[in-house]
Parts: sequence; structure tokens; C-alpha cells
Amino acid sequence: MGSVLALSSGPGHHNCPPRWERRDGRLPNPGSFHSLHRSCKDVFPQQIEGVKMILNKTLSSFFKVSHTLHLSAVSPSYYRFHVEHLQSDDYSKDKDAPALIGEMDSSGSLNAHALLHVTERVRARTVFQTQQSQFVTWQFETEYRGNDFTTAVTVANPDVLRESVILVAHFLQSVSSGLVLGGELVYHRGRAEEGGILTLAGQYSRPNWVATLNAGKGGAHASYYHRANKQIQVGVEFEASTRTQETTTSFGYQMELPEANMVFRGMINSRCIIGGVLEKRLTPLPATLIMGAFVNHRGDKLQVGLGINVG
Amino acid sequence: MGSVLAAAPPSPAPAAAGGSQGVPGLVSVPPGFTMPSVSSVPPTSGSGQQSADADSPLPNPGTYEECHRKCKEVFPLQMEGVRLVVNKGLSNHFQVSHTVTLSTLGDSGYRFGSTYVGSKQTGPAESFPVMVGDMDNTGSLNAQIIHQLTSAVRSKIAIQTQQHKFVNWQCDMECRGEDFTAAVTLGNPDVLVGSGILVGHYLQSITPALALGGELVYHRRPGEEGAVTSLLGRYTGDNYVATLTLGGAGAHATYYHKASDQQSTRMQDTTASFGYQLDVPKANFLFKGTVDSNWVVGATLEKKLVPLPLTLALGAFLNHRKNKFQCGFGVTIG
Repeated sequence: MGSVLALSSGPGHHNCPPRWERRDGRLPNPGSFHSLHRSCKDVFPQQIEGVKMILNKTLSSFFKVSHTLHLSAVSPSYYRFHVEHLQSDDYSKDKDAPALIGEMDSSGSLNAHALLHVTERVRARTVFQTQQSQFVTWQFETEYRGNDFTTAVTVANPDVLRESVILVAHFLQSVSSGLVLGGELVYHRGRAEEGGILTLAGQYSRPNWVATLNAGKGGAHASYYHRANKQIQVGVEFEASTRTQETTTSFGYQMELPEANMVFRGMINSRCIIGGVLEKRLTPLPATLIMGAFVNHRGDKLQVGLGINVG
Repeated sequence: MGSVLAAAPPSPAPAAAGGSQGVPGLVSVPPGFTMPSVSSVPPTSGSGQQSADADSPLPNPGTYEECHRKCKEVFPLQMEGVRLVVNKGLSNHFQVSHTVTLSTLGDSGYRFGSTYVGSKQTGPAESFPVMVGDMDNTGSLNAQIIHQLTSAVRSKIAIQTQQHKFVNWQCDMECRGEDFTAAVTLGNPDVLVGSGILVGHYLQSITPALALGGELVYHRRPGEEGAVTSLLGRYTGDNYVATLTLGGAGAHATYYHKASDQQSTRMQDTTASFGYQLDVPKANFLFKGTVDSNWVVGATLEKKLVPLPLTLALGAFLNHRKNKFQCGFGVTIG
């Protein structure tokens, strides 16, 4: 599959606005290629380790700042400073709203995203990532949203000196009110080699469930998301890679209890990994307590995490 | 259902709560097993020999091990991994507990513990005999029987095994007088090899606030034998207790201070660790913190989730010098 990074880190989990709600007879825009599997991925708990304290501060309606302190047993502890400048108020609801985001680590690693709406239909995104002083990712993406289709072209890590580049082209078309078909073409070129991988994608949505499939020479990725009722959502994911010759099946669920201000996400894996994360809002205070544990039965390893988000 | 008050061993903790008198060679009481906290036996009337003042008889000073225990209880226990404890009272006499531990460093396991309290009632909160047993999923056993033989004499037998091998077996006898406590402990006696440890304790109230005592440890192995003595002094003020132990292996001093009505307490220890406990009973909240001269900082938070019989415990320890971090949480039901 393409090795292009998408802007997927964010303070909260988010489900795309459902596509089946358009009633005017025209087909809706299918969204971006990266968000095809997102509704299923949001159900799964994120691996949490050590103690993490996040302090979010909203300085104005466009400017947000967050401080993260992470104490960890397995990786070095760090302090991270994150700042967001939004051009509109909607970033938390719509991941593609225009924004400038920067993140700096206590070790000097930088993570910068810039998302611009050049015109109503054309969007541009730039991503820079460094690991201490070395640049790891620099990519530029342009996306065009038509009435019922989306195309995007991404240039990742273009290096004139080493003559290497990765080019990715995406295309998604709404074929019917529930069906979206598309494809991705990844072309990578280095000094010694060059190659291209084509992947076809399809997604079928109904009011309560979404099924997505990506299949190509690099492997397959299938996901199924089901909303059982207001409180329970379930996701099943299957990934196969021809490069590593491995397949993984995961089952995850999310249980929301708004009366108790609690969200629980659990998952079980074909790699014998079982995990659960509990998030509880401590109501009089603007704080959320997060507790999670992941057990890898095969290696008999346990990872425990505690977190508190303030603000 | 019935809750057993007399013997309440804390859930088996890696830090040994009892036997920390700073003397090497002493058979340490198995972790989690200390003598049940007892109110002092009321002094018998009519014997005016020991009390200097006939109007106010000297109180019984308590046991030797309890002197440092009050201070140790303030310090948080190091927690790591996930722990689930389910306590179930089966009747007024019988209580059972299941503990499942998932550990990041050591082995995960299941432990079953049971406590039986007999019907010979000697006080409002104590009944005897008390039998406590604990078995691991690897087969390690911890067992203890405590019985009050007469109104002044109490005896205890404790056994500890590591899988199938016996690690600790000891028997002790404690006699509580009007204003003194004397105890004799025989640890790991081995007739075949000719080895064993014999410990004698004596603690005497000198004034209502001051108690002095001593400990003699005699250990014998084929080829060598030796004895270690240490002295203990304890002074109790209005809201503080200071204890000093001087022995062959060094000194150990603890100071326990109750700061205010909100029960915020502070401790100072000559081995240079500082611990504090903040108890907010209205919020069902208990916080213990510690700072050490080894650059170790740790804290534990316990909160009772009131409508349910659940207690949530969160803990983290950070060793700045070695840059090591440990965190864990646990849930106790019942």
C-alpha cells in the first residue's frame, strides 16, 4: 500500500458525516481516499503506554495550544508542544478544514501540517516531519473535489540530489448512493529502481454499516463497520500484505455510556493481542481520565497506560 | 456479608511490611502477614509493682513490630501492571479473595486467599483463632495461624513456600503484661541440619509516653553461630510518634506526625525518604506520595467509587537516577 502519511492524528475520534443523507438526487462527494477506512479504525483503541498528561488550552476561537507530557517505561519520556491555527471553527468536526498545525518535541522533532483551501474545490496540503534534526517526510498534496468525485495527487519526499520521489494519485467516484469506487496508483523512483503499484478501492455504505475493500498487488485491506445501536459500534478489519507475507484480522468494539460519561474500546487480534481502553470524563472538572492495557499473549507482554486530558 | 476484622492481611505486596527492623538475619515475616492490629490488652488491676504511679497505670506498649509499622503504612506501594482483586465475605467467620495480576515485569498470576476467624471473642474487634491461607497459581503457599492461648499469651505459626520448597516456617509466642510485652520467635528450625533462628523481643512502658525495649537475635548454622542485639525507644506525643532503633546493623528512626484534622501526615526517616499521605474521606480519596534520597519519586491514588463496592488504585514510580518508570492500576471489588 502507499506509504504516504495522512493527517490522522487528532485530539479525538471522529466519524465522517454519513454519505447516505443526501436527498436531492445527486450523488455526494465521496470524501478523500484516506478516510475510507477511518470509521472502522476509530472504533479500535489506541495503544497507550506509561503516563501521559495532556493540557489543552484554547487561546481564541482560532488558536489552540496543547502541552503533552509523557512518562514511559519502554520509550524515552518527552514533552511535546502542539499548536493549531484554524481558519475556521470546524476543525474538530471536519478533519479537512483549513488549518496550520505545528508540533515540537523535547528532542527537537518537528511535525508541521498546513492545509489550505485554495478555491472551493481545490485543497492543498503540506506535511513536514523531522526526527530531531533530520527530515523524514516532506510531502505536498493537491486535491480536487468535484460534484461526485475526488482526485488527489501527492508528491512525497522529492529529492533532487538523490533522484528519488514517490508519487501517489488517488481517484474516487460515487457510483450510486451507497457505492464508491476508486483507485490509487503509487509510483516510486529511486536511483537504482522504480516501480508502480495499483490498488483498487470500493466502499459500500448503508445507514448502519459500511464495508470497504482495498485490493491490489501490494496486498488487501478490508474493513467492516457496524453501528448496532446508539451505544455500541463494532468494527472488523482484515489486512494482508504481500511484502511481509502476513495477514492480520482484528475485531474491535466501542461502547459509549453518555450517562456515565464513559467510552470503552476493546479489541482482539489474530496476533493474540487483546487490548482495552477506558475513557471517563470526570464531570465537575474539565478532565478526562484514560486507562488502558494491551496484552500480547504470544510474547506474554503487557503494556499499561494511564492518561489525563485537561481542557 | 460478614466482614472479618481481626486479621486483615494487606493484599500480598512486594514490599514486606513486617520484619523491617533493620537487622540482618532476622526471619522476616512473610510479606502481607503481620500480627493483626489489636487494641492493647486492658491492664489487670491490683498489681502495683510495675506502675510507678498508682493513679494512672502505664499502658501496654504494643508489640515490637508495630513500632515502625505506623510510619511504613504512609508510604505508597510500588504498583505495576494491572491487578484485579475480588473480596467475598462468605459468612461472619469466613472471607475469600481472588487476585488476578497481569504484570509488565514479572509473571502474571492468579492468587487465591482465604481467611477464617474463630469464635473465641477477646475484644470488640478481635476474635481467635485466625487462620489465613494464600495460594498462588504456581503452587506457592502462605499460611498463618494466630491463636490466643490465654488472656495474656498469643501464639502464631507461619509457613511460606515457594512452589514446593519451604522457605519460611516459624512459630512465635507473645506475652502481654500490664505494661510490657515479651515475645519469643523460633524461625526456620531445622533439626536435621542443626540450624535455626531464635528472636526475643521485650518492650516496656517507662512513662505513659515513653517505651523502651530491646531485641536479641540468635542464629545458628552448622559451623557458626552468632547473636545480634538492638535497642528500641519510642516516644509518643499528642499528635506524633518518634521511634528509634539502634542495632548492630545501624540505626533506623521514624517520625510520624499527624498534621491537621484533615489527616495529612508526614514522615521523616533517617534513611532519607519522605512520604506523605493525604486522606479525604468525604471524597473517598486517599493519596500517598514519597520522595527518596535515591531520587525516586512515587505516588499512589486510591478512590472508592461510591455506589459500587469498587476501589480504583492508580500508581506510578519514577526513578530519576536510573531513568526508569513504572505505572500500574488496580481494581478491588468488595
